Amino acid sequence: MSLRTAVAHRNLLYLLSQKELRTRYRKSILGWAWSLLNPISQVVIYSFVFLTVFNATPPVGDPSGLEIFPLYFLSGLLPFQFFSISVTTAIGAVDANASLIKKVPFPHEHLVYSVVIAQGVTFAIELAILTVALLIFGSMVLPWLPLMIPLMALMALFTTGVALALAATNVFFNDINYLWGIVAQVLFFATPIIYEPGVISNPTLQAITNWGPTGSFIRASHNILYDNRFPSAERWLHLIVVSVAVFALGTWIFGKLSPRFAEEL
Amino acid sequence: MSTVLTVDRVSKSFRTQAERVNSLKELITKRRRNADVEEFFALRDVSFKVSEGEAFGVIGHNGSGKSTLLKCMAGILQPTSGSVAVQKRMSALLELGAGFHPELTGRDNVFLNAAILGMTRREIAERFDEIVDFSGLAEFIDEPVKTYSSGMYVRLAFAVAINVDPELLIIDEILAVGDVTFQQRCMQKFVEFREQGRTIVLVTHDMGSVRNFCDRAIWLEHGEIAGSGDPADLVDTYTEKMLTDAEVDRSMESTRRGSGEIRVDEVELHVDGEPTTHVRTGDTVDVRLHFSADASIENPVFAITIGRLGGAIVTFPSSRDVGEVPATVSGSGTVDIRLDNIALVPGPHVLHTEVTGFGRQHVFDHIQNAVSFDVLAGDVRETAGIMTMRPTWSIAGAGVSGRSPLV
Repeated sequence: MSLRTAVAHRNLLYLLSQKELRTRYRKSILGWAWSLLNPISQVVIYSFVFLTVFNATPPVGDPSGLEIFPLYFLSGLLPFQFFSISVTTAIGAVDANASLIKKVPFPHEHLVYSVVIAQGVTFAIELAILTVALLIFGSMVLPWLPLMIPLMALMALFTTGVALALAATNVFFNDINYLWGIVAQVLFFATPIIYEPGVISNPTLQAITNWGPTGSFIRASHNILYDNRFPSAERWLHLIVVSVAVFALGTWIFGKLSPRFAEEL
Repeated sequence: MSTVLTVDRVSKSFRTQAERVNSLKELITKRRRNADVEEFFALRDVSFKVSEGEAFGVIGHNGSGKSTLLKCMAGILQPTSGSVAVQKRMSALLELGAGFHPELTGRDNVFLNAAILGMTRREIAERFDEIVDFSGLAEFIDEPVKTYSSGMYVRLAFAVAINVDPELLIIDEILAVGDVTFQQRCMQKFVEFREQGRTIVLVTHDMGSVRNFCDRAIWLEHGEIAGSGDPADLVDTYTEKMLTDAEVDRSMESTRRGSGEIRVDEVELHVDGEPTTHVRTGDTVDVRLHFSADASIENPVFAITIGRLGGAIVTFPSSRDVGEVPATVSGSGTVDIRLDNIALVPGPHVLHTEVTGFGRQHVFDHIQNAVSFDVLAGDVRETAGIMTMRPTWSIAGAGVSGRSPLV
């Protein structure tokens, strides 16, 4: 149902996403450079913590043979941020467009879709830059890159599902907004971004980081970008099931709640 | 004619603000105490149909539920019970420029706003020039809208909204915004729409536009339909009702000043010999002042002032103007002032009285707001201005023919 309206209103979707992108860095001197400076600063911080403070050895890419922490870190951070920033922005987007929702009839889910699309564009740009870096440091990632397309598509489904559910419930309970801040933080560390699941000795915790909803995506991304190999069939299956289920659930929740937005906002 | 809009037994209730839960904690601790939940019905069992090509008015004062009805028709709010069915492409003008982004240019905002209103990209591209023309903002169209004046902003928003090309247009009281020229332009556009056989629903408290513009209207009160039918009749009934309802707080406080040797003790209004506070345009009104004097007063001049409540003075006649000045007055007596075929237009009015010396400089007694009264629609259908000149119209010319079907 909502996919059909999305197609019918694809023009709205396109323009809302465009607005999302165009207005993002208005009034800032560095503009779009911020979308790169943010991950770069994270790379510097976590590389310092990982390599200098803890004196750890970077994970080794198998079969790529890469042994460069910043590249490992970015292959996980970028998709994770696509997810977490999308959800954060989507929660705010419904509130930010309260006047629109109260005055104009239009499919509200487009506010969320457009956020995910805009963030997806950002992710694609960041990915292009990461690809250049990978090539420079000797990993022939290009043949593996097409695998990122289905992975991103599944991530987009998953992200949209979570974003729809949280954005809708946040209209009724503002707690969601604050709660998400904490959950995102927990997820960041529960997901193998600054570490490899293999370093965790407790098998339960290891399984959680490896197969947790975000962890599974990040592992697949590591496989493709850092290891240069095909993620396992069970990995794909897991991702498909989780993405479709979460998307369906989010769509259902949003569909139930959105008719009441106008009176609750 | 086919039905374009069907509103079928629509009710809408809201829970009062205090009863809403706004956090998870509240949800858990205050869960399901239904007995405490107070429901407020903004609409109760409202039904009507609008046919193709009709101009339909919804009148009601603030809080009557007309905004809720409008939002239900537009699909922004879901009725608690009942249903709204729209058969044609609809556009609802609830607020101009909702969704404009200040940082984007006029051009970008036109595209975005039109898309929000449901237009496809091709439709927008086709109409873009027309939209810009109508707004008169061609030279600013590539500037961010945050640099626009509020007038420019509204003009652009209206230009977009009106070019969505709906078959059913639902309009809120947006005519109240913008300058006079702009309002005229909007009205002109609406008339054009109607002449093209499109359907318009106008939700407003502006009696004038409903009377002039609509074929049929309903009058909403406390969320229920209190009347329906011919707009002119409805507007008269509605105005009357509204003025009668407002009676209670109409007893404006009178204030008195002057030296007090002679005073007006009581003021009465009579129509057809009956005391009243409601008069109709065209009535013959008798104003009677009861006065009393402590001493013998030489050459006193009596005067009354009639004005709009809180507004313009319409007339200020005195007994000296017509040479009715007694040589001396003592004790008590009355002054009768007959106002023939009264030319006031509907609305609340006040009457002040004054007794002065012959030179009009010394004030014995002045009562501000001695009487408040309402003028209701009578033999003349004018509503604007402060009085009617009872005009006679004739329009001539070689190319003038027929009588408009709209009147």
